[in-house]
Amino acid sequence: MSTMASILALNKVSYRYEGAKSAVLKGIDASFEAGQVYTIIGKSGAGKSTLLSLISGLGVATGGEILCGETNLKQIDRDNYRARSIGVVFQGYNLLTNATAVQNIVLSMNISKSPEKDKKSYAYALLKRVGIDQETADRKVLKLSGGEQQRVGIARALSHNPGILIADEPTGNLDKETEADILRIFKRLAHKEGKCVIIVTHSKNVSSIADVVYRITSGLMNIA
Amino acid sequence: MYIFQNALQNLLRNRGRNLMMGAIIFVIIVSVVTALMINNTANGVINDYKERFGSEVSFVPNQKKWMEEAVANSTDGYVRLDLPKIKPELLLALGESEYLKDTVYAAETKANSKALRAIDANRGGGGGSVMAEMGPNGLREAQPMQSSGGQYYHKLTNQYADFDEGLRALTEGSRYPENDNECIMSEELLKNSGLAIGDTLKLTSALEKTDAVQGEATSKDISWEMTIVGTYTDFTTEYSENLLQNAYNNRRNEILTTFEAISNKMQDGMNGINLDARFTLTNPEVLEDFIEEVREKGLSKVFDIAADTETYNRIIGPVEGLKSITFTFVIVVIVLGAIILALLASIAIRERKYEIGVLRAMGMKKMKVVLGLWFETLAITIACLIFGLGIGPLIAQPVTNAMLENQIATAQQSQQKASIPSSKEPALLGTPQRDTVKALSELDVSLDIETILEIIVIALVLSSFAGIVATCKITKYEPIKILMERN
Repeated sequence: MSTMASILALNKVSYRYEGAKSAVLKGIDASFEAGQVYTIIGKSGAGKSTLLSLISGLGVATGGEILCGETNLKQIDRDNYRARSIGVVFQGYNLLTNATAVQNIVLSMNISKSPEKDKKSYAYALLKRVGIDQETADRKVLKLSGGEQQRVGIARALSHNPGILIADEPTGNLDKETEADILRIFKRLAHKEGKCVIIVTHSKNVSSIADVVYRITSGLMNIA
Repeated sequence: MYIFQNALQNLLRNRGRNLMMGAIIFVIIVSVVTALMINNTANGVINDYKERFGSEVSFVPNQKKWMEEAVANSTDGYVRLDLPKIKPELLLALGESEYLKDTVYAAETKANSKALRAIDANRGGGGGSVMAEMGPNGLREAQPMQSSGGQYYHKLTNQYADFDEGLRALTEGSRYPENDNECIMSEELLKNSGLAIGDTLKLTSALEKTDAVQGEATSKDISWEMTIVGTYTDFTTEYSENLLQNAYNNRRNEILTTFEAISNKMQDGMNGINLDARFTLTNPEVLEDFIEEVREKGLSKVFDIAADTETYNRIIGPVEGLKSITFTFVIVVIVLGAIILALLASIAIRERKYEIGVLRAMGMKKMKVVLGLWFETLAITIACLIFGLGIGPLIAQPVTNAMLENQIATAQQSQQKASIPSSKEPALLGTPQRDTVKALSELDVSLDIETILEIIVIALVLSSFAGIVATCKITKYEPIKILMERN
């Protein structure tokens, strides 16, 4: 483990779904640092995606605390946190399908109040970094392939230059070749651009690029 | 700002849905524009009528009370039915009531002048006073009505309503009489008499009283020295249809002067000068107070005090019906429109649940999501408002014509069915204007600024209502649930 200060820390984080008899997460402790790729693995229903939604501020832990830097997520505006502090890449892409790729990026920049003056040019540049040319960028998301949509998803997650990038099964719907491309992007983001990349996955292939692999078992998370 | 831009982009991205929404909003707006235009125009006409005539009162002799009083006053078994009159002093005193905003006095008598040569003088004069007599067992058959004679060729009056209506116009160099010794006449009469403006003439008449039973007549001559201060071009019809065609009834032979010039000659108990007044109340609600005041001042119980509801109903009734229908229509359209828009907003939100989830996951605040949706509805509403305000007036006029025609027909049918004779006697002088006002047969609807503002407010309220529905829906959605459901 690195000795760098953690960018994200989980202290005894637990979560119980409304009406459920027992908690799906039962006091998870973990620490995430910048410049590292983390993968979280575990069986289906183990609570990987639940943990990811808590980290990304889409849900609130029922116990324990999640610290972003030194700030407890419970005490901050989670909309702002999602808009500015983290980037999330979803398995199902979750893009605005009626809008073009570049419009998705620009909208995300607007929501995060990005200081970029020429947001559109910045968006094109960002898309180019993940392998989307301008012609493709101007097409509606609905008309893009799964791999292209995932690249747009990554570009959108990076549009406000967050320190933490979270990805939920980012290559689940992609072929091997595209998966390899996407994983290269994640590695570059962590190792060259200093982002903290946390990936939830089933894939051993994905886990192979991780600096640290966590496994969730019986509601607890340990280094695999 | 980006919320607004995104909303506009969304309008283009979802053309089909927005066109459907626009079509529904457009129909609602056009319906509201049409109904409000008709309603407001009808309202304006009604208010204008109320302003001019609605609070008008008159003193009308009640035939039954008149007879009862005549019977009660009889000392010799014969009943004398002299037309009840209000003394000019009382009439003037009543006109000073604080409950009145306007009083128009009318005075009329018959007159002759040696200096005048009447138009159609060869047809003879007229103007005898009308009397009737009634015995203990009813109307005397032998002499039911009689003229007391008097070949008068001119009416001396102060009625200037024809000038207001454009049926008479002062000629150049003329002015209206300002003093009791001034008069004006038609150009034809002046020319026929060989007179000129500035000439003076003497008018003569007589006050009379005849005892219907004893047949004793008393008479007193009265006269005026008058200067002709003007003439007028007369476009009125020379003879009324129901009057004898003699010089007295020829309107070219009328001489116009002041009210006081005529009323000053009245004498107690003598006939020959007719007075009338039209009182306009400050507002219809003070009628009872006014009645109390005029009774205290001494107006005989023989006179009923009547507000002009009959004319009001005849003239304005169909428009009130129209107003009532359109008002109901506006309410129905607004309520139905609100329900339809709420349903549409609800369906649209359900359909866009995923989009909302994505926006929320990206960090967009709930209120901004709502604002964006509201902007979209607002933009559609504004576009529909522009088209609706353009097309509504084109539809409003034919709709008004058809509805008003229907209302008039209904009103006429109900009047015919009712066919209740009026208990009201005609006014002594047939006070001007009122009887000349025709029932409204057409209504020119127009789109005034007040109506436009009302429509804008209604449209904004409706679109905001849709926004509130959207807000309520959105607050139920947590982004993680939406996205997990989809994934």
